[in-house]
Amino acid sequence: MRWVVDHSSREALPLQIVACVRRGVGSGELAVGEQLPPAAELAKALSVDRNTVLAAYRQLRDEGVLEFRRGRGARVASAVTEPAPVTEAAQTLVAVARRHGVGRDDLLRLIEKLT
Amino acid sequence: MTASALPGPGRYSIYTGRVTNWPLVVAFGALMVPLVVLGSLSPGGWLDPAGPAITLLVAATAVLFTTLTGLSVRTTAGPNGVSVHCGTFGWPRRTYRLDEIARAEVTELSLLWSLFLGHWWTPGHTYFTARTGPALRLVLHNGRSVTITVPDPHAAVAAIHESKSG
Repeated sequence: MRWVVDHSSREALPLQIVACVRRGVGSGELAVGEQLPPAAELAKALSVDRNTVLAAYRQLRDEGVLEFRRGRGARVASAVTEPAPVTEAAQTLVAVARRHGVGRDDLLRLIEKLT
Repeated sequence: MTASALPGPGRYSIYTGRVTNWPLVVAFGALMVPLVVLGSLSPGGWLDPAGPAITLLVAATAVLFTTLTGLSVRTTAGPNGVSVHCGTFGWPRRTYRLDEIARAEVTELSLLWSLFLGHWWTPGHTYFTARTGPALRLVLHNGRSVTITVPDPHAAVAAIHESKSG
């Protein structure tokens, strides 16, 4: 699968790695049960710290996308049903709304009004 | 997954893939059992040079070694070169820097290759193959070719070309 991170981007590197995995799962490149590269190998290839990859993997585990098994690394636990562009756009919307002080209820009301 | 056409200065676009030949892992594992049983049933001790036990033990060890090292290949390709890790413990492993690679292409491993799967080294070629079918082939500047089994060789070639042009 393809991983793309931009070190000069303002978006945090762990979030970029999270987005890569989400895109991979959403597009079917990563199937349920498939093992992800070990954090050290991925970190070396992307020229990031190993802890950056681990932080991304942990976030994905907390969200139920990945599962960790002793001795078997990180595996895809569930397929994300939403198309990747929609998820990314929604994430951007939430971030922009937070920056402008728009709360969860106001945001939901806005989405309901638009759909 | 898409990547933008022009890589920026801090942009890393890499390809990762893993191939494990599970049917062969099971077959090799099953093959080890009769070898060890025959060795233990053979006349004389395990270290008796006249008996077949040593031969069977060596065969069982070779089968175990191939199972652990040769039937799974993990590859990473990007600006830091192409890294190959084999087997359960990621060994043997090898990294080819981008400046060592003259070109990358997709090759087809015929059914005949079923007999030669695993990690092979000859004076002109290196093989990290876990199954037949399309595979990634690197041709190095020193003339050596390296054949690697990856899930999507075209994506791997694209990542290498993008990294070399970046």
